[in-house]
Amino acid sequence: MTAALGHVGHFAWRAVARWEALLVLLILAGGIWSWTLSDFFLQRANLLDLATPFIYIGLLAFGLTFVVIAGEIDISVCSTMAVAAVSFAQIWHAGVNVWLAALAALGVAAALGLANGLLVAGLNLPSLAVTLGTLAAFRGLAYVILGGSARSDFPLNFTNIGGGYIHNELPNALLVLFGFALVLGLLLHASRFGRYLYAIGSNREAARFSGIPVTRSRITIFVISGLMAGFAAIVYLGYFGSVQADAASGSELIDVVTAVVLGGVDIFGGSGSMVGVLLALILIAVLRNGMQLAEFGGATQDLVIGGLLLGAILAGNAIRAVQARGMPWTRSRARGKEVSNTDTQAAGVAVDRTLETRQGG
Amino acid sequence: MSLVDVRRLSPQAIVSALFRLRELGIFVALAATVLFFSIRADNFATVSNWQDIATDVSMVVVVAVGQTMVVLTRNIDLSVGSVVGLSAFVSSNTLAHHHDMPLIVIALIAMAIGLACGIGNGLLVAVGKVPAIIATLATLSIYRGILFEVTQGDFVFASQLPSNFLDFAAKTPAGLPNLAWIALAVALVGAAILRWASWARDFYAIGSNPDAARFAGIPVTRRVLTAFAISGTLAGLGGFMFAARFASVDAIAGRNFEFDVVTAVVIGGVNVFGGSGSVLGAVLGAVLVATIQNGFTLLRISEFWKIFFDGVAIVAAVTIDALITQRIQELLRRKRRAEIVGQERGAET
Repeated sequence: MTAALGHVGHFAWRAVARWEALLVLLILAGGIWSWTLSDFFLQRANLLDLATPFIYIGLLAFGLTFVVIAGEIDISVCSTMAVAAVSFAQIWHAGVNVWLAALAALGVAAALGLANGLLVAGLNLPSLAVTLGTLAAFRGLAYVILGGSARSDFPLNFTNIGGGYIHNELPNALLVLFGFALVLGLLLHASRFGRYLYAIGSNREAARFSGIPVTRSRITIFVISGLMAGFAAIVYLGYFGSVQADAASGSELIDVVTAVVLGGVDIFGGSGSMVGVLLALILIAVLRNGMQLAEFGGATQDLVIGGLLLGAILAGNAIRAVQARGMPWTRSRARGKEVSNTDTQAAGVAVDRTLETRQGG
Repeated sequence: MSLVDVRRLSPQAIVSALFRLRELGIFVALAATVLFFSIRADNFATVSNWQDIATDVSMVVVVAVGQTMVVLTRNIDLSVGSVVGLSAFVSSNTLAHHHDMPLIVIALIAMAIGLACGIGNGLLVAVGKVPAIIATLATLSIYRGILFEVTQGDFVFASQLPSNFLDFAAKTPAGLPNLAWIALAVALVGAAILRWASWARDFYAIGSNPDAARFAGIPVTRRVLTAFAISGTLAGLGGFMFAARFASVDAIAGRNFEFDVVTAVVIGGVNVFGGSGSVLGAVLGAVLVATIQNGFTLLRISEFWKIFFDGVAIVAAVTIDALITQRIQELLRRKRRAEIVGQERGAET
């Protein structure tokens, strides 16, 4: 049994390693394509600055990674970020110290994440429906807070976080991204809490019966997701220097979800790595930059990214199917994955029934 | 007392009674809303305003009927707004260049485009095993991207369109706008299909338990594909209605329309876990949302609160549904336990 599990782990690791190698290859291919479009591409300043417009997307994707690995989804992240950004703008505009305002924005974002978490884990509602609702509700909230106007002219030492440079070359935001990748990567891969999430994402009922605090962990992932939306808001404000209530209401959500899924995080939960998400984000940045050089329109770019998202999932499914057909012991695992949701429900009902029969008797 | 009554009912009767109650609940909410706005807003209770509401709601109803079928199978179609835009532009652009084309052909063109989009979604979800939310979020972007490519920055405006098309949405035979007659027909046909067609009954089975449905011999892949194809086709028809209604179509036509549709369906009691819900509920949900939004406009409440309200309504409806479902499960469980205890006592004596 342990040996079989070891095999599964080994096999999963090899699949992930291959996936991440594939991402690196794709990034290189995108880079070569961009280089043929413009000689400017390979200049050090451009390479360093390539990802700057996508740092806030990356921070949102990092938060979402925790949620998806635990088998849930949070599509309200962009709206949460908008609420945090406009809250900051209004609080700062009212004369509060800029850092206190930033802290308050983080608090607001965490509170919105907590609301999602309580609805999903506390009341046992489907995260898809809840966050679809809060996607709209939070966006409405952003409009209610700021109305149709815009706020700008934030202090320079604040906007430097998302828009400043060290020695006029190295973007501060890039350091923020790598810093969060490191800290959150450790939290995900090297902490007990992180391991809980993989267990919950693989089989929630089994996780509950193994004594994992499932409800608390599920609430926590949404708070993390909300908090990351708060940090994303700070970077966003720094990069753009101004904010409106419709911030990130377009294709940003597709970019965030694509970064997570393309990064190799299983959309059904239970597997994925922070390195993969970081690489996928860089790939998206390279591709968008290249398409910009090739003078693709915004909607055409979205079309390509959408195709990439679907391609990533279809490729993942195909790989799993091949693995399942190849090895008998992975077949049962793969099939278990496909039906895990109903399986766990059925298991739960069966267990309930058994318990009640006992109590009744 | 009530427990005794409940025990006499069969589980099916309890479930159906509770869902009747759910539809009744929306109906009561609707009545209360109408009453409230009739008192508070001066222009609310007028024939022309109700015709406005009927026109507003008809597009949502048509697309919501398709969405209901998709949600019944425990899936969702978020791409409908883009499908509405794409089919609205292509069909009205065709009409702008061929004035003598009959409107029915234009509608069929719109529906064919919708069908193609729907089949695309269905293949991704049913065959490609991509979760519906992700698949249709991606195709939302993809279909919108195609629309931008097709329009090339162009747009169709009223002066390019023939007068019979412009009159179409304005005419109100028997007091009801043309678009509302279309919606009524679609809703009736949709309700009849969901009630009596065996392949549509399969949607409920699939949504209740996809694996059980598969083991019971239901061709799940084909049925899910069908549900998405219907949703796409009706979104195409919605696109035709969009063009008729607004007579000006650009590349952002129908953006965020999916929210109106999903809100209507979810408020109408179609369970997002799949397996339960009705066209009647979805129609009532659409009418309720449109009435409240109309009242908001008449009371000059900011557009921003409407967006907020939409989202809160989705969350509230989902919460209520989940609580009802949990309540039903608890009732059935209690009933089952009582039966078991009864049997054991019977065996003892």
